[in-house]
Amino acid sequence: MNLAVFIGRRVLLLPAMLVGITLLTFVLSHAVPADPVAANLGEQAAANPEVVAAFRHQWGLDRPLPQQYLIYVWRLVHGDMGTSISTHQAVATDLGQDLPATVELAFAAMLVSLAVGIPLGILAGVRRDTVVDQISRGGSLIGVSMPVFWLGLVALVIFYAWLGWAPSAGQLSPRLSRPPAVTNFVVIDALLAGEGDVARDALSHLVLPALVLSAYSIGVLTRMMRGSMLDVLGEDYVRTARAKGLPGLRVTLRHAARNALLPVITIIGLSFGGLLSGAVITETVFAWPGLGSYAFRSATSLDFPAIMGVGIVVASVYVFANLLVDVAYAVADPRIRMG
Amino acid sequence: MIRGRGDDRAPARGRLTRRTLVAAAAAGATAAAVGRLWRGGAALGAAALSRDTAVMAPSYVIRSLDPGHTLEPLGEMICHAAYDALVTLNGEDLSSPRPHVATSWTVTGGGRLYTFTLRRDIRFASGNPLTSADVKWSFERVVNLKSNPAFFLDNVAAVTAPDPYTVVLRLRDPQPSIIPILSNGALGIVDSKAAAAQGADAGPDASSRDHAEGYLNSHSLGSGAYILESHTPNQEVVLVRNPRHWRGAPSIARVVIKNIPEASTQALGLERGDLDIATGLGLANAQTLARVPSVTVKSSLIAASFVMMVNMDPELSGSLANPKIIQAIRYGLDYDGILKIAGPGAVRMAGVIPNDLAGALNPREAVKTDRDRAKALVRESGVASPHGRMNYASDQTSFGIQYPILAQKLQADLAAVGITVDLNGLPGAVALGEYRAAKAPALFGGYVADYPDATDFLVYLPGRLVGKRLRWPATASAAAGELAHWGDQAEQEPDARARVALLQKVQRRLLEIGPYIPLFTPALPWGYRADLRGVTFNSVWGTDFFAVRRT
Repeated sequence: MNLAVFIGRRVLLLPAMLVGITLLTFVLSHAVPADPVAANLGEQAAANPEVVAAFRHQWGLDRPLPQQYLIYVWRLVHGDMGTSISTHQAVATDLGQDLPATVELAFAAMLVSLAVGIPLGILAGVRRDTVVDQISRGGSLIGVSMPVFWLGLVALVIFYAWLGWAPSAGQLSPRLSRPPAVTNFVVIDALLAGEGDVARDALSHLVLPALVLSAYSIGVLTRMMRGSMLDVLGEDYVRTARAKGLPGLRVTLRHAARNALLPVITIIGLSFGGLLSGAVITETVFAWPGLGSYAFRSATSLDFPAIMGVGIVVASVYVFANLLVDVAYAVADPRIRMG
Repeated sequence: MIRGRGDDRAPARGRLTRRTLVAAAAAGATAAAVGRLWRGGAALGAAALSRDTAVMAPSYVIRSLDPGHTLEPLGEMICHAAYDALVTLNGEDLSSPRPHVATSWTVTGGGRLYTFTLRRDIRFASGNPLTSADVKWSFERVVNLKSNPAFFLDNVAAVTAPDPYTVVLRLRDPQPSIIPILSNGALGIVDSKAAAAQGADAGPDASSRDHAEGYLNSHSLGSGAYILESHTPNQEVVLVRNPRHWRGAPSIARVVIKNIPEASTQALGLERGDLDIATGLGLANAQTLARVPSVTVKSSLIAASFVMMVNMDPELSGSLANPKIIQAIRYGLDYDGILKIAGPGAVRMAGVIPNDLAGALNPREAVKTDRDRAKALVRESGVASPHGRMNYASDQTSFGIQYPILAQKLQADLAAVGITVDLNGLPGAVALGEYRAAKAPALFGGYVADYPDATDFLVYLPGRLVGKRLRWPATASAAAGELAHWGDQAEQEPDARARVALLQKVQRRLLEIGPYIPLFTPALPWGYRADLRGVTFNSVWGTDFFAVRRT
C-alpha cells in the first residue's frame, strides 16, 4: 500500500476515534460519584437551592446526560470545546495557553532523551559488559525507578538552592512579564517580540525540568537501544561489513545502529505521548503552567468541559504520535510496506 | 561529488580530521553556550527582585476575580486589594472592623436600619467618583447574581441611596454581624458606570443578563490600592499600584501572585529570595525555614474550627450516634497528640467558635483526655462493640494539616477506648459531596469563617447548615429546638457582651446534646522575606498589600 494512502486512511479514521474518545471521557468523568456543585460552590451557596439552580442552568448541568453529551458533540463539531467552569474561558483558549508550555517541556525532554539515550544505548551495546555498559545500566535503572517527584525536588535543592546554577521554578523569573502572546510558546514569543533577555530566561527555566522529565525516557531508550544493538551486531550483514574492512564506527552507526533504531522508534513515539500526558508531576514540582496542571485542576474541580478538552488533546497526541511512528518506520526501513 | 552507497571510504579510526575538529569545536561551543545561558538565567532569576515588586505564592485557587462571584480566600485577597469596601479590618485583628469607604454609620429601627456616611474623596481607577449609587449597584449585583457571595446579603431587604454620600441598608432582622460581613472583598464597591459598559447588570435578572465576569476576571473596576493588570488563569495574577488611590499610592508598585503548587518549591523560592511571601509552605518546610535568617516565619491563627462530627441518623452512623458514645469520643481523644499534628500555633478549642473570635469558649474549658472515663461511657452506652465509619478527604491538606494523618490519629485514639472506626478516604470532591448530601456517617473537617464574626459558626446548630448535613433538625427534640432559638437570639443581640454570653451558652449546650467533638483552631504556617514590613495574614482576605513596604 502506498504511504500516502495509508496516512490518508489513518487521518480519515480520526473523527470516529475522536467521537469514541469524547464518549469515553464523558462517561468516565460523569461516573465519578461527585457533583460539580460541591466542587465549585461554597458551603453557604451550595445550601441555597436558588443559587444551585442558577449554577446548574449556567453550565447546562440541569439537562439529562445524553442531551448534555449531544450538545457537547454538536458544539465540538462546530469548533467549540465549551467554556471551563473554573477559568470561565473557552476551553480552546485555556488549552492554547497551557498546551504550548507542556509541548515545550516534552519536546525539550525528548531531545535530551534522544541525545543521551540513543548514543548511550549504542555505546553500551558495542562495549557490552564493560565499565561503560555497567554505568549505563546503573544510570538507566536509576532513571526508570526514581520517582519524578523526588528527583525534581532533589534537582531543585542541588542546582537551584545550593549551587545557584538553575533559576527558580516557573516558566519565567517572577520579575519578568510574559511576552505578548502570539504562539503561546514563551521562548518563541519572546524572540518574536525581540525580548532576548526573556527568551534566554525562559530557556534557562526549561533546562532543569526537561532534564528531570527526561530521566525516565533516557533509561528506557538506553536499555531498548542496547538490547536492539546486541541483536543487530550479531547479524550476518554486520559481520560482512566488518569483513569488507569497513571502519568500526561506520559499521556501528551506518549498518548496526540504523537497523537497531527500528524497534526503538515505537518507544520514542510512545515516550513522547507519555511525556506530554505524564508531565503533571514535573509541572507541579516546577510550577510549570502546562497541560498536566490544567488536567489535575480540572479533574479536582469536576470541570467537565475542561476534562473533555484535555482528553481529546491527549488522545489526539497519542494517535498522531502513533501515526508518526508508522511513517518513521517506513522511512527508516524501506522494506516495510503498509498494509 | 556523487558518492555511491558502497563507497565507504572513511578516514582511518582514531585519526584527527577536519570534520572531527569542527564537530568537537561545535560541541564545545554549544556546551559553553548552554552553560552560560543556564547560569545567566539563574543569575537573572536569583537576582534581587526589583525593590518595589513583591512576589507572593499563596494556596492558589481562583474561581473568579469578579466581586459578584468570588468567595475563595485568594479571590477575596485580590478583590480586597483592587476594591474598597465600606469597612475594613486592621491586619490580623478580626475583632474590630473600622471605617473605610464609610466614615461612620448609625444603627436605628430596632437594629434593622444601617445608615452609612461615605467619604467624598474617593475616585475609582477610571477617574469616576465613588458615590452611594455605586454602593447600591454593587450590593444589588451581588444579591441578584445569585452566586457564591450572595448569602452575605441574604438578610438585606433593601439598599437605598438617599444622597450621593449616604447609603442605607434595611435588614429583615437585626444582624450586628452585618458590619464585619461588609469587610469582605466580595463586597468591594465596583465602578457601576464602567462595569455596565462591560456588560454588568445589577437588576433582578442579573444572573442571566450580567456578562461582565469574563472582563472582571482580567480587569478591575475598583478604587482599591491596586489595579488588576493581568490574570493568566492557573498561572499568575499581576497587580499594579493605583496612582489615584485616596490613601496615597502604596509603597509596593507591583504585586505578582504566582501559582506554585508544591510546598517545597515555595520554600526554596522564599529561601533564595525569588519569592517575598509564601503562604502554602506546609508545616515541615516552615520549621526548616525558621532557621533561615533572611526569612521571617509566622504562624497565624485562622478563624476556622476543626471539629469531628457524627451523623445523628443511626442508620448511617450506627452506634456512633449514641449520645454516650459521642461523649466517650470526646474523652477518648488524645488532644495533645492531635495538636502536634495540627502544628505550631494551633490552639485547643473548647467549643465550635474559633479562639480568635469574640464568643469562643476559654480553651481551659475544653474536655481533657480521660480514657478511663471514655471506657466507662462506652460501658454505660450499653453498646457491646461501638463501631462506625468515618469519611475524610484523602487528598486534602489544609493549613499544613494532612487529613490522612489526622484521620489515622483519631482512629487510633478511639480504638484505645474500644470504639472501632473504619476510615473511608475519598477524593476531596467526593467527600464534600457526601457530606453536603448528609450521607457522611462521621467525618472531621475545618469550617473556615466566611466573615469575621462568631455568629458565622452558628451553622453547627440544629436545623442550620452543618446541623442539617448531620441530619439534626431543630425539631429533633425540645432541647434542639431551644438551642436553635438561643442561636437566633445570639445572632440578633445588639449588645456585644450579651452576645458573647449567649454564644458561650449556646456552645456549652451544643456540646451536651450535639454531635460535635471540637478539636482545635488551626494556624497557618507562612513566611516572608525579612526585609518586608507590614506583612500580615488574616483568614478573611489574606494579606493587605497596601500595608506592605520594603526596608
